Amino acid sequence: MINSLMISKTGMQAQQMKLDVISNNLANVATTGFKRANAVFEDLMYQNLRQVGANTAEQATLPTGLQVGLGVRTVATARNFTQGTVQQSDNTLDVAINGNGFFQVEMPDGTTAYSRDGSFKADAQGRIVTNSGFPLTAGITIPAGAQGITISADGVVTAKMPGTTTPQPIGNIELASFINPAGLEPLGQNLFAESVASGAPINGAPNSVGMGSLMQGYTEGSNVNVVQELVEMIGTQRAYEMNSKAIQTSDQMLQRLSQL
Amino acid sequence: MDKMIYTAMTGANAAQYRQQVLANNLANVSTPGFRAELDAFRSVPVRGDGASTRVFALEATSGHSDLPGSVSQTGRLLDVAARGNAYFAVQGLDGTEAYTRAGALEVDPNGTLVNPAGLPMLGDGGPIVVPEGAQVNIATDGTVSARVGQQPPQTVGRLKMVTPDQDNPLRRSEDGLFRGPQGDALPASDVARLESGSLEGSNVNPMEAMIGMIAVGRQFEVQMRMLQNCETNDKTASQLLSMNG
Repeated sequence: MINSLMISKTGMQAQQMKLDVISNNLANVATTGFKRANAVFEDLMYQNLRQVGANTAEQATLPTGLQVGLGVRTVATARNFTQGTVQQSDNTLDVAINGNGFFQVEMPDGTTAYSRDGSFKADAQGRIVTNSGFPLTAGITIPAGAQGITISADGVVTAKMPGTTTPQPIGNIELASFINPAGLEPLGQNLFAESVASGAPINGAPNSVGMGSLMQGYTEGSNVNVVQELVEMIGTQRAYEMNSKAIQTSDQMLQRLSQL
Repeated sequence: MDKMIYTAMTGANAAQYRQQVLANNLANVSTPGFRAELDAFRSVPVRGDGASTRVFALEATSGHSDLPGSVSQTGRLLDVAARGNAYFAVQGLDGTEAYTRAGALEVDPNGTLVNPAGLPMLGDGGPIVVPEGAQVNIATDGTVSARVGQQPPQTVGRLKMVTPDQDNPLRRSEDGLFRGPQGDALPASDVARLESGSLEGSNVNPMEAMIGMIAVGRQFEVQMRMLQNCETNDKTASQLLSMNG
């Protein structure tokens, strides 16, 4: 009897976790470069209380056994890296990746983080930085007084200096891709870190083999589908209710037993 | 003392096990590819000296439901849902071939196609490995093709799918995966098909499970009432005896 209480508890816990993930997706519905996650469940072990096919007598075997599962657990929060909606912003330093790949961002501790958020700004020294102030690893500095900065689809950044007619190249934006982007570790601030599961980063110029191309003046929104999340939220709530009902029934059975 | 108390006890015991099976089904109401456990009460006549009048109740799980679960579109290329009665082959932790309906695939750092638990998906000739940075597509017959950059897609393998039937039934193992009757591998099926970009949910019928739970709760109460009746009978009997004494 206590078993079914614990089994239903795992069910409620799983649904609660799912709701946490859905809430986080919905909270980030307008976050640039956000990738939605979903909770993945797996059934727990099974207790083989009576082995099917075991001998009941010399010539007789059990036609059916008794196998009781021990509930459910959340095995992963898988991140879905499908393309988010790309929106025109007309900001010179807004860059969206159309396709695979991540921008490489240099963290204060010297490590590299990866991001799909391409709404860059220039800091006081003219470096191209993220909204949190972390520079791109390419270390592109925009010269003072530069005009007409263009970022090409393959990542070449050019600027036109006053008094000249031809734009000068000032750097290249390189992208990194991963064999298993779903294994990246989210750091917050729209950043991801490499992990054992993601594999090592594969660097390459945008628009080259396996990489997406850059689009200047655009930002990539989140890939959260609000309708889908709301529908899943309703389903989660109902599943939670049903598991709580199972606890109630088990409790009533226990109550009857203790009244004997 | 009347043996009735033991007979009623087996009934209550069986009800308790059924509640566990139903609770497990409900707990897995949103587990991808989960197959509902079927339950059945079995009667076991007690044979011995004298007339065989008593029958014990036993709860048994007679297998799993083969009904298809609801399929939802995810748009993720690595999500696959098996059509009909097909199962995907994975390599279990013990190295044997096991089967599952859960098709949310991932690519691990070595490029091997794995399920969310990290078990390699088996192809015709062992695990399937995709090249680095490739975009993976899975065709309806399980053919996995990888496309690197602008190059034409190349076939890297074919997911092994099996279709169990009466001669080759599947049984759930303790790790939740399905295996052949003797733990042996089933032959690959040529007719099995899958749908890419979709994920199959659990095939638990929540309504059925809830109603089953209400019924089992009442049944348990009836058994408890039987035990109480038994106690009253016993008391009355001993009162009769004490008057005589």
